Amino acid sequence: MSVFIDENLSQDDTGSVACRHCTTVLGVAAHPLRDARVRVTAPQTAGPSVRAEASHFTDREVVLRQTFCPECLTLLQSEIVPADEPSSRSRSVKVVGA
Amino acid sequence: MAYVIGIDIGGTFTDAFVADESGKVAGTKTPSTPPDFSEGFLTVLDELAATLGVGTGALLADTHYIVHGTTSTLNALVTGDVATVGFLTTRGHADSIAIMNLEGRYAGLGADQVQDMVRTDKPKPLVPPELVRELDERIDHKGAVIVELDEEGTRMAIRELVSAGAQAIAVSLLWSFRNPAHEQRVGELVVEEAPGAYVALSSDVSPRIREYARSATTIMNTQVGPRLRDYLRPLEVELRSRGFQGSLLVMQGSGGCVDSSDAPSRAITTIGSVLTGGVVGCTRLAAELGHRNVISTDMGGTTFLAGLVVDGEPVSTTSTVLNQYQLNVPMVDVRTIGAGGGAIAWVDNGGNLHVGPRSAGARPGPACYGDGGTEPTVTDVDLLLGIVNPDNFLGGRKQLSKELAAEAVRMHIAEPLGLSVDDACAAIYAIQNAQTADLVRKVVVTSGHDPRDFVLYAYGGAGPMHCVSYAADLEVSEVIVPLGPTAAVFSAYGLAASDIVLTVELSSPTNFPPEPAEFNGAFFQLRAELEDRLAAQRLRFADVEYRSEADLRYTMQLAEVATPVPTGDLDAAGLDGVGTAFGQRYEQLYGKGSGFAEAGLQLITYRTQAVGVLPIRPKLGEVGRSEGDAQPTSRRRVFLDARRGWQEADIYDYRVLAAGHELKGPAVVEAPTTTVALPEGSVGRVDRLGNLVIRYTQA
Amino acid sequence: MPVFPVAGSEKFANQPASREETLRAVGDSVRLHDVDHAVVDALDPLTYEVVRHRLTSITEEMGEALKRMSGSVVVTDCNDFDAAIMDEVGDVVQVGLYNTELAASLDMAANWTLRNRSRGRGINPGDMFLCNDPWVGGGLHQNDTSLFAPLFVDGELFCWTGAVAHQVDLGGASPGSWSVGATDVFWESLPTPPVKIVEAGEIREDIEDVWLRRSRVPKLVALDLRAKIGANNVAHERLRALCEKYGAGVVKAVMRRTMDDAESRLRAKLRELPDGSWTSVAHQDSARAGDRGIYKIVLKLTKDGDKLVFDFTGTDPQVDGLINCTFAGLRGGIMPVLLTMLCGDLPWAPGGIYRCIEIISEPGTINNCTFPSGIGKASVASAWATTNVATECLAGMLDTHPEHRKRLMSVCCGTWDFALLAGVDQRGGGFVTMLCDSMAGGLGARSDSDGVDTGGLACIPMGRVADVEMNEFAFPMLYLWRREEPDSGGPGRFRGGVGASSCFVPHDSPIGGVHLVVSAPGKALPLASGLSGGLPAGTQHDVLLRGTDVAAQFAAGRIPGSLTDLAGDADLLPAHHETDLGPDDVYYTHWQGGGGYGDPLLRAPAAVASDLRAHKVSQGGAEEVYGVVFGADGVVDEAATTTRRAALRRTRAGLDTEEVTA
Ligand SMILES: [Zn+2]
Repeated sequence: MSVFIDENLSQDDTGSVACRHCTTVLGVAAHPLRDARVRVTAPQTAGPSVRAEASHFTDREVVLRQTFCPECLTLLQSEIVPADEPSSRSRSVKVVGA
Repeated sequence: MAYVIGIDIGGTFTDAFVADESGKVAGTKTPSTPPDFSEGFLTVLDELAATLGVGTGALLADTHYIVHGTTSTLNALVTGDVATVGFLTTRGHADSIAIMNLEGRYAGLGADQVQDMVRTDKPKPLVPPELVRELDERIDHKGAVIVELDEEGTRMAIRELVSAGAQAIAVSLLWSFRNPAHEQRVGELVVEEAPGAYVALSSDVSPRIREYARSATTIMNTQVGPRLRDYLRPLEVELRSRGFQGSLLVMQGSGGCVDSSDAPSRAITTIGSVLTGGVVGCTRLAAELGHRNVISTDMGGTTFLAGLVVDGEPVSTTSTVLNQYQLNVPMVDVRTIGAGGGAIAWVDNGGNLHVGPRSAGARPGPACYGDGGTEPTVTDVDLLLGIVNPDNFLGGRKQLSKELAAEAVRMHIAEPLGLSVDDACAAIYAIQNAQTADLVRKVVVTSGHDPRDFVLYAYGGAGPMHCVSYAADLEVSEVIVPLGPTAAVFSAYGLAASDIVLTVELSSPTNFPPEPAEFNGAFFQLRAELEDRLAAQRLRFADVEYRSEADLRYTMQLAEVATPVPTGDLDAAGLDGVGTAFGQRYEQLYGKGSGFAEAGLQLITYRTQAVGVLPIRPKLGEVGRSEGDAQPTSRRRVFLDARRGWQEADIYDYRVLAAGHELKGPAVVEAPTTTVALPEGSVGRVDRLGNLVIRYTQA
Repeated sequence: MPVFPVAGSEKFANQPASREETLRAVGDSVRLHDVDHAVVDALDPLTYEVVRHRLTSITEEMGEALKRMSGSVVVTDCNDFDAAIMDEVGDVVQVGLYNTELAASLDMAANWTLRNRSRGRGINPGDMFLCNDPWVGGGLHQNDTSLFAPLFVDGELFCWTGAVAHQVDLGGASPGSWSVGATDVFWESLPTPPVKIVEAGEIREDIEDVWLRRSRVPKLVALDLRAKIGANNVAHERLRALCEKYGAGVVKAVMRRTMDDAESRLRAKLRELPDGSWTSVAHQDSARAGDRGIYKIVLKLTKDGDKLVFDFTGTDPQVDGLINCTFAGLRGGIMPVLLTMLCGDLPWAPGGIYRCIEIISEPGTINNCTFPSGIGKASVASAWATTNVATECLAGMLDTHPEHRKRLMSVCCGTWDFALLAGVDQRGGGFVTMLCDSMAGGLGARSDSDGVDTGGLACIPMGRVADVEMNEFAFPMLYLWRREEPDSGGPGRFRGGVGASSCFVPHDSPIGGVHLVVSAPGKALPLASGLSGGLPAGTQHDVLLRGTDVAAQFAAGRIPGSLTDLAGDADLLPAHHETDLGPDDVYYTHWQGGGGYGDPLLRAPAAVASDLRAHKVSQGGAEEVYGVVFGADGVVDEAATTTRRAALRRTRAGLDTEEVTA
């Protein structure tokens, strides 16, 4: 049986993770976003809510890191984090056999 | 002959009560007629006249005044069927009514809803954003003008609101209660730019500090004012055409009434109209019976209301919450603490039994009504425990089904818990009573009192079936079930027995004590305003009483406490006395040693209430004395106490009881409007007015 | 000065102890009341529900008593306090609906007291213990002072009650005990381990003097001490009556079953969810004034069957500053989200809920720091960040379930926007106050609806802010505005609730200005992250405009509507700052909203249009982030929106580099 990991991702009973909007396979249970497209831009790309430049407050570079479905380009994950810090965001839903 | 009439229009029934000078009283009820409630109003008058054996015209011709409790204002606000209001406020502060001090997300919700925080929301905006305009103007905390009012901008804003569809305009500017000049000028500009539009100024409606509640109050007042006006005007015309020459008075949440011509401009004061009649009735009855402190419990089919009478006066509050909005409306403090007979019993997914707070409401109602309800309610349980006679519910107007009730209890409670239906019912009954005791206790304690200093009054269709149990838990000294001629229409009796009550207030925050001249001047101004308004009531009063109070607080503490102020000008020593009275009241409310006196005192709001005592006070007639002992009409098995199980109980027909009769529990008294349960260990005695006075030897 | 190990502090490095450990430590010095499992099993549904309801109402009554008697604005107005009933070893049976992170660590304090105070002077009827040592528990930073009291029935310690509240000032380098320059705890308020301040029903005057001496407002602290004594007394009176009526054994059995019930129902809920792990991170920028670092708390949440493991491995080491928290803070940071997202329909019995979770955390890290790390703002710093990261992981877990996802929220208002004002008020009196406007943070978006705008904070179900008029009456200030801030809610298919801003100028102060302490991170990067692709909420933004023309504008009949309407030198304030405001200086503070949920390009255009009308988003935000195009009449241009959204999808993923125009 398949489970929805979230709004955008589903996982089938083989552990394959696909985009719910276009069914493109994106990864496996242990790395659901393995094949997703990642883009890193300036935090201000997130829109007018990011009010001031990070450089006023810190010497580390801060970036917006967004992850997309490579096919339908739905936004799957967003984070605004120090650029030198690998993403800590991940998840892994246990595969439930049929 | 001179009559007074009380008419109480609730969601389900329209009740009427009439009294004449000689002490003769009568009451009747008829179904309410939404959406045009005036239809039921006129019908019940006909029935009342018939009960007295006179024509409606003759009754009305001799009626001095009719006091009307109406649910229409409240209904309009709850259903959103209100006038389209445009809102004008100070630049920078339009969001105050959206931010709602953030408490708007949970205000007025039960603990179970607050706990489910993820699913809490703020209510729909009071005014949609396209109907809000900010004005350039500013007054500071002293009332000084910091920025002059931009009149051109204001005119344009008014025109924009009107073209956006505003039928009425509410104006609430910062610090307008300190200096109403800008609001008054805006009011004039509204008259010029939008002639005929209903307009309300916060400095008139609620000149009290704290802009969020003041604005919400002004807006809601503006929403319902035109509606109330459009309801009362034709009703009064109709009454006049039938020969009525007296005054039509409207009950307010304060427990006093106001002339119908004065009501629409302060429509918001009528929102508690139908809730307060019962407490006013209790107050009048308590005066007759010599009770100073009363807990009033009104358990009906869909709600459980609790209020207090302390030292012979209903306990009031200066604020209330409606649709999660905070409103400045001085009113009798009647709190909804439960769902009444409609409270649903249910088992959670952990296998625990609960009663309420969810309610079966009026539709589908309890399972035993046979109107499609399948979940077990307290009313179903009352039936299955033998307390309610299925053939005598609402005086026999509604036939109840024991089978449907038992099926609901079996399916939803007994089977999941592995209990018999009897045991399940006993548990639900006991839980309902214990929970009621907890909730009533909270009402009493948070008002700074101890339940043991009170007598408990129980009325409403379902209250007397449960009252002995929760009263014993609260350790009150005795229980009164108001029966006698007023029982069926207790709230309508309360209306007919009420007085004109007008309340005016003014915030003028300052360190306490201020100069005596400033203090006396504020009350002088309030008194003058009241005298003008009393004169406009078109009534002759037997007496007029003024009561003044000041909201004081310790500087560091936020809770303001309304503190009585003696009438007449006070000197410095008099002001010190007010400060002392505040300290005592504070300790009574919050505990000994709780006041942080070192921080000093502040005075926030002055308030004066005028009571115009009406010339006719309905007297309750005495019932006949008993000759011999009360005779039960039958016996049946009832279950009133989990420790005693099923017992054979005497069943009494109230209509054949007389003053002096004593009834020993276990027993059940069937009256036309309610049923009284007397568990073992309790004794009921019929008093001279026909009330049942219950004492108990043990809980 | 770097943090150094302090020999002798190990005693206070408290960790929750098992029942057996506790009994061993207590020995026969105190007789602890117990009840046989058979009594718990034999409880009938009636007795259970009646007594349980009464325990709930006693907890409410404690909270009411404390709130009414307290003299602290943060207690009376902001509900920054809580109360709880605990069993004989300190397990919490029932917690009030106020600041739940506070009460979540009362168990550790009561339990430590049992293990360390049973001998010697002992624990006896009528005693009450005061504690503000967050290494022991009972609070998250030193301002949180708890007072807990054993209730004896028939010579046995039957249960504990406890009350905890934020105290305005308990000493330390800066007013409000908020020392923005602190590098370690010795700059801050002195932590006080459990001390018997009430003995046999009487306040010990010598101990009270020691307690009050440290404070800038000792009389106020004395009043709050009495408020807590009153709250415990109310609870004891009612619990005694309950034991008389039903028997102590039955009441204890109900306490046990309440915790068992919360545990078993939470476990049942967990079993309905798929197993898996969710990892996330929460940041904080700046550990103290002058510091430009960014610090992280990493959490891997593993759900296995019916239990949850919170593993904080990878979290940054403790830092020189005031933002660390102790283990009690970490635990207190987790509890509010467990309660709101998983226990909305269960008894709030942390004693049972804690049994379903395991915590893995390295001492010496930023949210499990060792003495003498600075913890002055722990409650709203590392404990809060712990709440943020726990929110994100738990929400991710709930998102897998069609029913339980209705109870998830994205991260709520990412931090506490602290602004302390001090000076001389318009009546000539001195004042120190925390501006509590920022209680009105935005709540995180839900999986099926927007977050509540200016709806509050995750840890306080019933927060409040004061009216502008009340603040202007109490303090020498005049607001230019207090309003919701467009775009501050995290964009998403469901939008995070917006935060808001306050902008004011000193007004009517006899000395012309006010003193200002600012402590609000989230400026270098937003702290309220989104879910399922939803974007984080906006950043915290505090600006001080020096020497403005505000007086001239007032005189000319204008109220400035934005910072750009004002002339003056703009000073973009760092996270931690202490300064003075002059009479023409305007201070603007803008706090955060909640994170978004889902891809913002999937948001219904009509919802964006309604947001634009209600100023929840700006025109720019609606076009750039949501890709919604409006016609001249303000109505959504459906065709143009579809085109624009298609183009935005590509550009934001870096596929087309040219600018997309509306
Ligand atoms: Zn896709």
